[in-house]
Amino acid sequence: MGPAVRVAGLRKSFRVRERAPGLLGAFRSLLSATTREVVAVDALSFQIAAGERVAFIGPNGAGKSTTLKVLSGILHPTAGDVEVLGLVPWRDRREVALRIGTVFGQRSQLWSHLPAGDTFDLLAYVYDQDPATHRRRRAELADVFGIGPLLTKPVRQLSLGERMRCELVASLLHAPRVLFLDEPTIGLDVSAKAAIRDLVRRRADEDGCAVILTSHDTGDMERVCDRAIVIHRGRLLLDEPVHSLRRFIRRKVVTLATAEPDVVLDLPGLTIVERAPHRTVIEVDVTVTPVEAVVHAALAVTRLNDLSVEDPPMEEIVAAIYASADAGGAAVKP
Amino acid sequence: MSARTTVRFAIALLGTNLRATFALRGAFWLQAGFMFVNDVIFFTTWWIFFRRWDEIGGWRLQEMTILYGVVAGAYGTANVLWGGVRDLSRVIADGGLDTFLTQPKDPLLHVMGSKSIASGWGDVVAAAFLLGVAGCLAPSMLPLTIFVVACSAIVIAATGVLIHSSAFWADDLDTLPRQVSEFVLIFSSYPQTVYGPWLRLVLFTVIPAGFIGYLPVEVLRAFSWRDAAFLGGGAALYATAAVVVFRAGMRRYASGNRTGLMA
Amino acid sequence: MTRPALATYARIAASSARQSIAQRTTLVGRCALYVLILVVFSRIWQTVGGDAAAGGPGAKEMLWYLAVTEWIVIALPLTHLAIEADVRSGDIAYHLARPVPYVGVRLAEAAGDLSVRLVSLGVTGVVAAWFLAGGLPDDPRGLVLALPLGVLAGAVGVLFHAAIGLSSFWLQDAGSVYFVWQKLMFVLGGMILPLAVYPAWLRAAAEWTPFAAMLSGPGRLAFAPDVGVAATSAALLVLWLAVAAAIVVFFNRRGARVLDVNGG
Repeated sequence: MGPAVRVAGLRKSFRVRERAPGLLGAFRSLLSATTREVVAVDALSFQIAAGERVAFIGPNGAGKSTTLKVLSGILHPTAGDVEVLGLVPWRDRREVALRIGTVFGQRSQLWSHLPAGDTFDLLAYVYDQDPATHRRRRAELADVFGIGPLLTKPVRQLSLGERMRCELVASLLHAPRVLFLDEPTIGLDVSAKAAIRDLVRRRADEDGCAVILTSHDTGDMERVCDRAIVIHRGRLLLDEPVHSLRRFIRRKVVTLATAEPDVVLDLPGLTIVERAPHRTVIEVDVTVTPVEAVVHAALAVTRLNDLSVEDPPMEEIVAAIYASADAGGAAVKP
Repeated sequence: MSARTTVRFAIALLGTNLRATFALRGAFWLQAGFMFVNDVIFFTTWWIFFRRWDEIGGWRLQEMTILYGVVAGAYGTANVLWGGVRDLSRVIADGGLDTFLTQPKDPLLHVMGSKSIASGWGDVVAAAFLLGVAGCLAPSMLPLTIFVVACSAIVIAATGVLIHSSAFWADDLDTLPRQVSEFVLIFSSYPQTVYGPWLRLVLFTVIPAGFIGYLPVEVLRAFSWRDAAFLGGGAALYATAAVVVFRAGMRRYASGNRTGLMA
Repeated sequence: MTRPALATYARIAASSARQSIAQRTTLVGRCALYVLILVVFSRIWQTVGGDAAAGGPGAKEMLWYLAVTEWIVIALPLTHLAIEADVRSGDIAYHLARPVPYVGVRLAEAAGDLSVRLVSLGVTGVVAAWFLAGGLPDDPRGLVLALPLGVLAGAVGVLFHAAIGLSSFWLQDAGSVYFVWQKLMFVLGGMILPLAVYPAWLRAAAEWTPFAAMLSGPGRLAFAPDVGVAATSAALLVLWLAVAAAIVVFFNRRGARVLDVNGG
């Protein structure tokens, strides 16, 4: 079987019209438009094997969405070759659409006034599924995603987490070979995020479906994906297994809710971010002191009522990767 | 894409759409009911008019009743079946076509049918009332009445698509497409026997009010194969133009060069 | 009303007027709609020759009558939409807690918008009707008398629109109520046809409504420029202004109570 996705030398630039303000400016720009070229993606090449799960990461405006839109047939590339399951997305849009599933976290494909089941019924016609296959697949997914009891409730009455599970089922009903997920956990609480990540990972494994996921949340990429592609300013910065990205995470933010009103930890590599009675927020440089040591030290002086460990934001990780690229870091490919 | 699966999809889409409209039962009855009352009240102006004046360029109360019935029926039908047209320019501007593009069915058909407007039912009932009074629902007339209303509805929807497709090329259109669509409807719902040849030409080309209002009435009051063929041909032509222009817009959309699409 | 409050309302009205001017597409579109309707009816009235055959006004006067009534109708801001949105979303509870009365703010905004609309449409209407009708009415003094009446009618209309907006405290969809209200205004106000051509019973009924005072009152001055008639119309409009204001105050109080019961 060929690769699920093959991208070679992809370039996508937009012409941005520059026009004088006001009505007169609008008219003038109709006659002779002065345009400026903005390159969103450039010289981007990678392959994704069937069944592989890849996180597509980068700061805002890096070109993630543009690449995803080219792969799903929404946008034409300016130059370069793109194949999805051996098909060219913008030329064979319909054929590709039949074989891919998409969830755009910000846009719902469910009819909000109707129960999700009604949207599923309609999707059988959208994807020309025969009724028996549709019923079987739907029952199976409803079971796995635990949405059976939700199928008769109007979507607008569902919680965000419940809705997202229904969105995922909707995008998986036609058994796609490639699943595109754009910010699938945005706005969800911690437990709903965890549930969605586990479900996506398990289901993709069972279906042998490739997953391409974009997210701001490092948790999404770690729990769902095996490989990460980092792009920055439209170019490939890094392409390697997710676990090896760990080395770029130099610090964690630890929040302690303590029984003692005031806790002092004497360890190297700690910076106090916030100190309030019964609450201490510490930035830990994990290259100096591991998080476990911090927790240990804390438990030695107080009981803990609550504890949270957070990753730094994606932007910071990318900045770290970028810094190492500037320093001629070996991990970064040209 | 085979025609059979497309038709099956269109029917399923309509079914889902109607269920979504009926799901809000209170709002449905209120909107549909008030639209009916709205249409009937406004029509009394013409009833008053024709008590004082006999005719407007050859049209009497009978013709005006048919005109109002046809336009209300066509507008209502278009709103019930293809309610998505009304918001099309906003959907285009907001990047809302993306969702339709990642699915295998025709985006135009899909987006048109993705919404149904409840008040359209009020228009359809008002139309049935007016056309019934005018005698157009008699068994011998019914097929012809359905034909002209269908043609008129297609021209209304196609014109809407053409107007809203401007959002592929221009930005910041705001409510302009909706306003222009309203103008077309206003021209359509007044007697068109009062215009000279040049304005007539405009009403069968740029502003297709002739196909939406005038010609359907002529076909119903004094049937001729020529007028009927002209009406059917006009509807087909506008529908084709709408598809062609929308597809051209889609190509532009795919190039991503619409301002504001940068992501 | 204290002086500082008056100044606050004036500022709100002024910024609303600026915003109304800034929305150029809508402004131009509105004027275009007005011209379009005048074009349609200039053809209709010329075809049937106005009401001259029955001894009434001719085609030219009929068009000027329509120019006045449509001027008022199109100038009315859709105040009910903003109020309905606030009631639906529950935001009104926060607005009510503010020092400046909520309805007062909305009415001040409407006043600003109304003035921009009256001026832009007024200029458009005079030019368009002059051109389309082929001249001013035989006695153009009536148009001058119609101006203050139009402003007064606009104020009455805005108050009723506010009342429709507030009705969404009890009704699911004030938008539908508005549509029917608007059509009643078209018909009973004599927007297209002067009430003189209505059947006697319908005319008698229409005279009892605010619509006739708002549209037919100023409109008929286009072909009957009579100071006495104008004064009567003005008195009627003032009467309706008081009625509409009373309804708004009543709905506003009752609405606040609905909020108390439902907890906002």
